[in-house]
Amino acid sequence: MILTGSPRNASVVLCFDKGILQSTMDKGNPRELWEYVLTQVELSISPANFNTWFRNSFIVKIGDDGVLYVGVPSQFFKDWYLKKFHILLLKIIRDVSYEFRNIEYLIVKDERRKIVKETKNTRGAIGLPLDEFYINKSDNLNPRYTFDTFVIGSFNNLAYSAAQAALERPGITYNPLFIYGDTGRGKTHLIQAIGNQFKKQYQGRKVFYLTSEKFVVDYTDSVQAGTANRFKDKYRHYDLLIIDDIQFLSKKEMSGEELFHLFNHLHDNNKQIVFSSDRSPVAIPDIAERLKGRLASGMTVDIGEPDSESRMAIVRKKAASHGVMLSNEVIEYVATSMSGSIRELEGMVNSIVCHAQVNGVAPDISEVRQSLRSFTRPQKNISVKNVVDKVASFYGIDEESIYEKTRRREVVRPRQVIMYILREDFSISYPTIGAKLGGRDHTTVIHSCEKIKREVVVDSELSKEIQSIRTLLV
Amino acid sequence: MNILIEKKEFYEAVYKVARFAERKSTTLPVLSSVLIIAGSEGIKMRATNLETGVDLKLNGKCIHDGVVAISATILQQIAGALTQEGNITIEQKGDIISIVSGTGKSLIRTVPYDDFPLIPFPENSKNRIVMKGILLKNLFTSIASCSSSSTVRPELSSIYISIEGGVLTAVATDSFRLAEKKIPLTNKGTQGKFLIPAKNALDIAQALPDDDVIISFDDHQCAFVATQGIFVSRLTNAVYPDYRQIIPKESIVEAIILRKDFENALKHTTIFSDSFQKVKVSFNPKKNNFSFFAKNTEIGESSETISANISGSALDLSFNHRYLSAFLSLTTSESISLTAAGIGRPLIIKGVGDTSLLYLVSPMNQ
Repeated sequence: MILTGSPRNASVVLCFDKGILQSTMDKGNPRELWEYVLTQVELSISPANFNTWFRNSFIVKIGDDGVLYVGVPSQFFKDWYLKKFHILLLKIIRDVSYEFRNIEYLIVKDERRKIVKETKNTRGAIGLPLDEFYINKSDNLNPRYTFDTFVIGSFNNLAYSAAQAALERPGITYNPLFIYGDTGRGKTHLIQAIGNQFKKQYQGRKVFYLTSEKFVVDYTDSVQAGTANRFKDKYRHYDLLIIDDIQFLSKKEMSGEELFHLFNHLHDNNKQIVFSSDRSPVAIPDIAERLKGRLASGMTVDIGEPDSESRMAIVRKKAASHGVMLSNEVIEYVATSMSGSIRELEGMVNSIVCHAQVNGVAPDISEVRQSLRSFTRPQKNISVKNVVDKVASFYGIDEESIYEKTRRREVVRPRQVIMYILREDFSISYPTIGAKLGGRDHTTVIHSCEKIKREVVVDSELSKEIQSIRTLLV
Repeated sequence: MNILIEKKEFYEAVYKVARFAERKSTTLPVLSSVLIIAGSEGIKMRATNLETGVDLKLNGKCIHDGVVAISATILQQIAGALTQEGNITIEQKGDIISIVSGTGKSLIRTVPYDDFPLIPFPENSKNRIVMKGILLKNLFTSIASCSSSSTVRPELSSIYISIEGGVLTAVATDSFRLAEKKIPLTNKGTQGKFLIPAKNALDIAQALPDDDVIISFDDHQCAFVATQGIFVSRLTNAVYPDYRQIIPKESIVEAIILRKDFENALKHTTIFSDSFQKVKVSFNPKKNNFSFFAKNTEIGESSETISANISGSALDLSFNHRYLSAFLSLTTSESISLTAAGIGRPLIIKGVGDTSLLYLVSPMNQ
């Protein structure tokens, strides 16, 4: 069978089978009802439309008189829902039950992300947490990664819902499920949780998790040993195959082709496939077009940057899972003091937990500040020249021109950025910065730093640039 | 569609409208476009990012009616590259438009506009006030910088506007300092308050015309209506802290200082401030002077004494110098007054003779 247009096929199957999905749903539960509505809406409108309009909406309550109250973020949304989606939504909920008479739209703050369930752990004893590192040999899954420990916020809500939907009807709803996002956003956690949940839900079916790197190594090994045929069969008998970090397959032509055949085999047999990557399928360089198309043919969701509430929830949950209760002050400090990935956040929590276990009490804000100093301000020793070099190449200008007395616009801005970074990140004194950058007056430096500091607040483009320069300098 | 517009008019309109388009590419493509409408109401440009929205009228000749959506960045680049005086014509043929200006001609692929959202206007027209655009513009651009840049507390990253007794009061604070500015209004009847996100206010301020603007608002949305066009913004759905509680009612010392002296002394002392940007200020009523002091273990230390008119008792306070210098960009008064209520209490800064502005800055630990 040819795979093109598979989402369309999936939608036909789903409509045909709607009864099953409906019957498992509790229509009095706003969350489940909305998830069902979303899966239906998604089939009717384009993904861009869906992402824009439905990402932040939810059912506030179901009225006694059969009126459904849907919460939307602003007037823009309310007007557009009334104009474009009202009839569609009404039709979907009427399909569920005739009890629903109407839909009203309310403008509300998205409070869902603040209500994150917290699992209390009363384990006070200290033991070596060896079970965290336990990996099941037969499916390669780490049992530590489950949905219970997964924090859901607005940034990953869509990915989470997609994962749930895929688990509901594996191999049919979203196949393949492709999850992408920057490093440390919880991709691996999510896809392993899918695997673990699948194991629990469908006992007797086989799951396998591997990284694309392992796939490539496996393939080359088998070619070397002359057992390429056995390799082909090795992965084909799984009911759920999870491949992590698929982007490493770029430039590996033969492995890519092998994956292509594997994909076709699994997909044709309605076996669920889950991929993760650090970029969207179309943005993965140097992989065959046909594979690219296959990767994007199911559901593609990205995990964005966690907002501060979610970060706080993550810190709280991580600490709670270690049996340490932290004060809100501490949680807020940890969550906001650093803009790093969730992985780094976890590192910080671990160090606090370690402190708490040694001292026997949860640390207060000043102790935390002390113990996290190494995280919040990494000791960076870097030469001015190095910074100039990096920034100049970032903006694509000649390094020499930074030191010259030129006021050309394309040079002035990078120069100001350099001054700002030297001052903010490396705490170099204003006069020193001036002297190093071609003998400028310290007031010039102050002005530049102030200027950039002011602009960073209002100019998101600039702040993004500075952010990426910072990553270059680490 | 076929329209004829003067280049300058076109450039200015694109410059104003394009900033309202969505800059992220992850959402609907039509949100990062500008919608050009030619019809019975003349020529209009629209853009929205679902936070703010604009509907701007253009002077020009409309030869054929029609609607097109074009990528905002492309339009911006084209407008930026226009030279010389003269007119441009924009003509639509299928899903391609041609822009002809003088000797050049470019063909641009349009974006399907079916998904372009409605731009909402507040329905309750009772809440409306009229004021000069230039005043509003200055108000937003000056105090928006005092609001918080973090999104943790949405109310603090907004500007609080309250209208009462014929006076519009705008407040912005990031919980370290606070700026309150009052503007008298011509129509006295309206009352109300709203919270506009500071980022949105800045975007709108850049595009507002100088003459009369009607501000209307309801619970979720506000609109700025001028003859040239309409600008709307989402409002923050939160409760603003009762900031009046933190303004000290009593004072123990007041200093009147020339703005020029204050500015120079602060500038000089700032160089020596430490990593916390701390600058110590002292009120010396006996010698009738006011002094700045800063110490940095890496650089050295510096003190600066300026003559001042001091009434009250001696007091030392430390501040983040940024918060002190920020005041200077808010007022043009020749001399400023600093009123302190004691150690650990916030300092009030005002321009002498300027009762419209109040700036409050909380001190650092000694």
